[in-house]
Amino acid sequence: MSHHDAVVVGTGLAGLTAAVRLAESGARVLVLAKGVGATHLSPGTIDVLGYSPARVERPAEALGALPATHPYSLVGADAVAAAVTWFKERVASGSLAPYASVGDVDANFLLPPAVGVPRPSAVVPETMAAGDLRDGDPVYVVGFRALKDFHPALLADNLGRSGLGVKARATELELVPERRRDVNALGFARALDDPAFRGDVVAQVVTRLAPGERVAFPAVLGIADPHGAWTALEQGLGRPVFEVPTLPPSVPGMRVFALLREALRRAGGSVVLNNVVIGAERAGGRVTALRTRVGLRDERHGADWVVLATGGFASGGLELDSRWSARETALGLPVAGVPGAGEQRFRPGYFDDHPMSRAGVAVDRELRPVDAAGERALENVLVAGATLAGAEPWREKSGDGLSLATGYRAAELVLAASTAVPAAAAGS
Amino acid sequence: MPQLQADVLVIGGGATGAGVAWDAALRGFDVILVERGDLAEGTSGRFHGLLHSGGRYVVKDPVAAEECVVENAILRRVVPDCIEDTGGLFVTTPDDDPAYGDRFMEGCRAAKLPAEEIGVAEALRREPRLNPAIRRAFSVPDASIDAWKTVWSLARGAAAHRARVLTYHRVIDLHRSDGAVTGARVRNELTGEELDVEAGFTLNASGAWAAQILHMAGIEDVGVVPGKGIMIAMNHRLVNTVINRCTMPADGDILVPIRTVSVIGTTDVRSADPDEIPVTQDEVDQMLDDGERLVPGFREARALRVWAGVRPLFQDARAGEVTDTRDVSRTHAVVDHRKRDGVDGLLTMSGGKLTTLRLMAQDLVDAMCAQLGTERPCRTAEERPPGNDDGEHYRLGSRLRKREERLQEEQLICECEMIGRGRLEEAIRTRGTTNLDDIRRVLRLGMGPCQGGFCIYRATGILHAVDRLDGAEAAESLRRFLEERWKGVWPILYGDQLRQARLDDWIFQGVLDVEHLPPGEEAAA
Repeated sequence: MSHHDAVVVGTGLAGLTAAVRLAESGARVLVLAKGVGATHLSPGTIDVLGYSPARVERPAEALGALPATHPYSLVGADAVAAAVTWFKERVASGSLAPYASVGDVDANFLLPPAVGVPRPSAVVPETMAAGDLRDGDPVYVVGFRALKDFHPALLADNLGRSGLGVKARATELELVPERRRDVNALGFARALDDPAFRGDVVAQVVTRLAPGERVAFPAVLGIADPHGAWTALEQGLGRPVFEVPTLPPSVPGMRVFALLREALRRAGGSVVLNNVVIGAERAGGRVTALRTRVGLRDERHGADWVVLATGGFASGGLELDSRWSARETALGLPVAGVPGAGEQRFRPGYFDDHPMSRAGVAVDRELRPVDAAGERALENVLVAGATLAGAEPWREKSGDGLSLATGYRAAELVLAASTAVPAAAAGS
Repeated sequence: MPQLQADVLVIGGGATGAGVAWDAALRGFDVILVERGDLAEGTSGRFHGLLHSGGRYVVKDPVAAEECVVENAILRRVVPDCIEDTGGLFVTTPDDDPAYGDRFMEGCRAAKLPAEEIGVAEALRREPRLNPAIRRAFSVPDASIDAWKTVWSLARGAAAHRARVLTYHRVIDLHRSDGAVTGARVRNELTGEELDVEAGFTLNASGAWAAQILHMAGIEDVGVVPGKGIMIAMNHRLVNTVINRCTMPADGDILVPIRTVSVIGTTDVRSADPDEIPVTQDEVDQMLDDGERLVPGFREARALRVWAGVRPLFQDARAGEVTDTRDVSRTHAVVDHRKRDGVDGLLTMSGGKLTTLRLMAQDLVDAMCAQLGTERPCRTAEERPPGNDDGEHYRLGSRLRKREERLQEEQLICECEMIGRGRLEEAIRTRGTTNLDDIRRVLRLGMGPCQGGFCIYRATGILHAVDRLDGAEAAESLRRFLEERWKGVWPILYGDQLRQARLDDWIFQGVLDVEHLPPGEEAAA
């Protein structure tokens, strides 16, 4: 059985953030996960708070108005700001540098995703920032016929209707990598890592631009060298260029995953995939080891601290069975916010406020899981990310911010509480 | 006011109406069919997909059983492509009386239904997921039938014989003159435009909505008892043979494998209004328990979608109150309004079921011919409507085979249902619709496991490009699709389908933020 100062369960933004933060402080960290996390679904922006319920312009201010049960209220606005600063530093000094993130918790950008609605985000990749719709410059939207996950004319049409006075036109290029008819975002991103393909794109677009237009592309501008791809297009076209998030797989999200995993590796931590945590050994209110399933084999991993960041119902961190009983799948922690038998779980309108939507693991201010009576269930387990109760990440546009802030805060709490860490730090 | 003229006006675009239009057009009548929504959007598109062998009715309703036996064989011949020859089993579960099996076999013999008792071991060999505690098993010629495909095929066939099929045209009034119905005023539900249809004869094939039509003719005391039934599509072919409980008809007694899913049905609850048929969590729970009885582990399987349909069960106010809708006969009858109400030029089809749609159409058109004093023989037992030319039954996997032949040649828009861009663009063009839901019913777009999570944004983009929908219309279409889809998933959101729904929320709310798309009105203002 291996033993680590901390075992983090989950490789989404919350888990990786906690792991990197801990490893960089000298802790011996192991990340166990079933597979890659939700980074590959997210737009790659850090949305701190976009709606509450009206559109939020200044997330730092709006955080204070959230209910006490919201995870942001538990970690506090200062931790959110500190986490965001930390994240930007990791990106700027990371494996994709000089690729960087811009923005902060004081103000939201208004960036269009692929349907063209103004979407609030606090921190965004440099490759998206020029899409800010608070800036009224006209937009020329460029799509690729072979990329079915991005429809430029629809985006342009809706931008024109956004009420922000942004005019937009669109075109679709027939350029295809490898002459296939059906290429996904990652296929285009790899093609755009290649200067020759960038050159082809520039050559086809540059003559079509009208004065003053900035240029929108689907978020596929490079996976290994996004800064290079983006600057090459900006220079080649002589215009501001920006990426527009669309359906998964998310290339900007993959960049986040890649650079945080690389940061973890540099700090001495490691990620092991295909490890499904199926339970824990406990002693005196503490978890001493995690039991995992690797294929048909069972393994055990000892840990002083566990950060649980397995995600919510979307990622399999939480499950609801056909008798409507919910469970947290790794450690069997109590799940709060699930309507009882006979109560309504969902409402008939898709955009209604659904009683189930804030279900998750309830925690105290130190992110320890609590039971229905509010009693701490485990001393050395901290919960972060979408597993937490009390938020509605998609509607609030807060998912990445929550994962980042709670993952960061979990690491801080472990470091503060831990007396085991100095020994490890001394050894590193 | 624009006017149209025809020999026959058919009201209702479900299986009955489409069958009637096909039948009458084949006999040389000039036909107009009006449907308030899309074809097969009502009861016909909301059933489990069973082509009855008749076994369900042999004990309780022998007339219905005999009709099914005959019609099952005819439909296999005339619409083979709409049918998968799954075969069926009646099984005695531990909760059922084994003696019913003897009555069942007796009934089969009387109805000339080719049934055979097979050993439990043989039944389990054919269907390994079947409850191993079953005590008897009987093999029957059940099959599954694609209602959308069938109705569309009949409607196309009618159109090929000069029938005019007007979808999204709602009857708002019946014209009457000298005690006869002479046509109807209809409203185009998409444009709001009204028009008059003058017809020598009006055939009311509106099923559960028939009473609303008759009301317009001043006929008040024929009531329809809408019998609500819920069905759940499970994400897999839990079985490859239709599985029936060998007992008197009850809730949750049938599991139908159709295309890539299996559908469990159904309940039978009296409903006040055919347009208000909500599904409750309790009903879902009951259906899952019933599924567990047929296939252990049913609750662990993934439920894909739930819906309710309304049977067109008729209640003649002169025949007394119906308390249990299950006791209403499943046979059909032509309501002769000349004899009953002194109203000429109008006949109503009452009751019936999809399996006997051809016979129902024949009986209705025969009755009309009799009133008109003309003799024109029915040809629907021999003629095949379009799409059934090669005489082959549908086989699971045929779509995959076609797709594999052209795998690298075009974009796949809906991975779940294997719909290529070409087919989608063609459907948009030929249907002339901007409604994603209409396209869904024709292509099965968005009906697979992800319930449109990926393909619906793509299809919206393509609709926008091909049809030149403006952004507001595209946004509205997207939002409407999400709302419609949600109605069919929220009562069954648990397990993997909840997980899928959360992923879809991630896409539509988290990434695309469809909720905040500017509405159409703002653009107009």
